[in-house]
Amino acid sequence: MPKTNGHAVLAHISGKIRKNRIRILPFDRVLVELSPYDLTRGRILYRYRN
Amino acid sequence: MNTLVITRVAQRQWHALDDDLVVGRGDASPRPDGRLFLSIDTWHDSVFERLAAAMLAALPRPLYTVVDEADLNLDTLWRQAGLTTRRREWEYIMASDSPPVPAPRGVTTVPTGTAQRRPLRRLDRTISAEIETSVGWDQMPAAVLSRPLHPARYMVAADSEAYVGLARLALLPKHTRIGLIAVRADHRRRGIARALLADVRRATHERGVATVSAEVHEANTAAIALFEEAGARRQGSNLELVIR
Repeated sequence: MPKTNGHAVLAHISGKIRKNRIRILPFDRVLVELSPYDLTRGRILYRYRN
Repeated sequence: MNTLVITRVAQRQWHALDDDLVVGRGDASPRPDGRLFLSIDTWHDSVFERLAAAMLAALPRPLYTVVDEADLNLDTLWRQAGLTTRRREWEYIMASDSPPVPAPRGVTTVPTGTAQRRPLRRLDRTISAEIETSVGWDQMPAAVLSRPLHPARYMVAADSEAYVGLARLALLPKHTRIGLIAVRADHRRRGIARALLADVRRATHERGVATVSAEVHEANTAAIALFEEAGARRQGSNLELVIR
């Protein structure tokens, strides 16, 4: 998942997104929470509408 | 992680704090049918276990969650917390461009947004009752549970006397999701569902969207046959887990 600042993060979907069956597709804009333990890992918290 | 503290921050929300840093979150949310679904996000499995234990001890059972069957780690964590499989749903994907399927004689399709409310409500009640007395709503995917009935969400099959079949849709920006496709019991085996599905795909294609998706309970052989015959392919599966 490339970020707008050029860094790449490996992110998985959050439990709430999974629970609500929201599908993440390539090029979707998403809100990612970075792991405090490893800044190359993250969790997708929200998918923006466009 | 010696200072891990689990805190209930709201009626249905928990945080795991490690030196004032939030390292895990737990959430419980009710579905329209009243069932309570859990989700937990952590960076370490040990935090997940602590959060799960706190939530399971505090919330009334039964409690449910949904996991992607391919997510083996999460599935294992929930099972270690005591949850077991309640059902499996296949996720089907199909392209929106499809050859036309002729509707059965005397049956026409009413496009989304144009069905009349009163006969639509009557059909919805009839089909709901038929499902309740057959497989039961608890065996249907969460997406089909009752919600405010709005014609914009429905494509309907009608004969000269009444509405006889419906497809409840979520018209999402990048795909159309079928929440429910059903035909009245006394009008089945005529190809109405097949024609409805073809029209859903055609309408999706006309709005410039490439895919249609649906979730199907693994035991729903009629729906599986309908989608697979239409060329849909399985993309994945979700497990609903429960602890009673």
